[in-house]
Amino acid sequence: MQPGGARVDLSQLRRGTVEYCVLALLREGERYGFELVRELSDSAGLVTSEGTIYPLLTRLRKDQLVTTTWRESESGPPRRYYRLTESGHAALTAFQQEWSRFRDSVDAILNGRQGDEHHGH
Amino acid sequence: MNTTDTDRLIEDYLRRLDQAAAHLPRARRAELVADIRGHIDTALRQEPAAGEAAVRNVLDRLGRPEDIVEAAQPPTPDADQRAGKLEIAALIALLVPFIGWGVGAVLVVASRVWSRRDKLIGAVLLLLPIVILGLSVVAISGPNGGEESPPPGDTRPVGEKVEEPLDPVPAGLMLLVVGLPSALYLGWRLRPDPATSPTDA
Repeated sequence: MQPGGARVDLSQLRRGTVEYCVLALLREGERYGFELVRELSDSAGLVTSEGTIYPLLTRLRKDQLVTTTWRESESGPPRRYYRLTESGHAALTAFQQEWSRFRDSVDAILNGRQGDEHHGH
Repeated sequence: MNTTDTDRLIEDYLRRLDQAAAHLPRARRAELVADIRGHIDTALRQEPAAGEAAVRNVLDRLGRPEDIVEAAQPPTPDADQRAGKLEIAALIALLVPFIGWGVGAVLVVASRVWSRRDKLIGAVLLLLPIVILGLSVVAISGPNGGEESPPPGDTRPVGEKVEEPLDPVPAGLMLLVVGLPSALYLGWRLRPDPATSPTDA
């Protein structure tokens, strides 16, 4: 079950983080799927294929981090709107704290020690 | 001509998606296809010109159907696939003769933790001992009790088992052991994978 290589690792990282980006986008209020997808995919490097967001939204709903409501739209078919739940809020807050620690640690190592080790070799 | 061409592009894409999602639960698969279809509709409404190029752009941005389906699997085995009460109940049920085998089998099938392959092997490991036990009961009771030509004095109906040769204690033990291989295998498959499980926080 070992990941194949660096590319796989990055996609795993992306996959684990994007769901919290979805939660963060919902912080200000409900949005419909297409809106969320386009917003995420406009951020460089975050989403490689837009379609992969939809299974993620389904999973967030199943995990009860978001709830969904269908609403009529003025143009076209009804849209499914996503809204953050209490536990969604809690999960997002917890992630934000962990993430900044994680990011700082990775940055510290990437910028510092790794270079030294290369010199040593 | 344009409309049918672009429609075919979209339908081809959605069919590929549907086929790639064949292994997902039916409701999940239908929802995924409906979500993507809705996305394509909305995206095309926003395109200035709804020609073939617009459709191709929308589909390109969506990505390969296979990748979309791949994203529908839980991210890591330990996040979504940790053994829960259902799995424990299934393993215990498998050890209970007759009713338990049935209940256990239903629970195993319902579980999302075991893969389809695990379930298949578990089923074989359950059915095999049942068949062996069934055959051995027939074989033991056959020559002694259910002789082709019953003794003249025997009024017992043909085929009825004679209790004597089957010692009740080993027979009972055997019944308890029937579910063991399957339960052991499935239990072993539940243990966290050392390669993927988080070793620290």
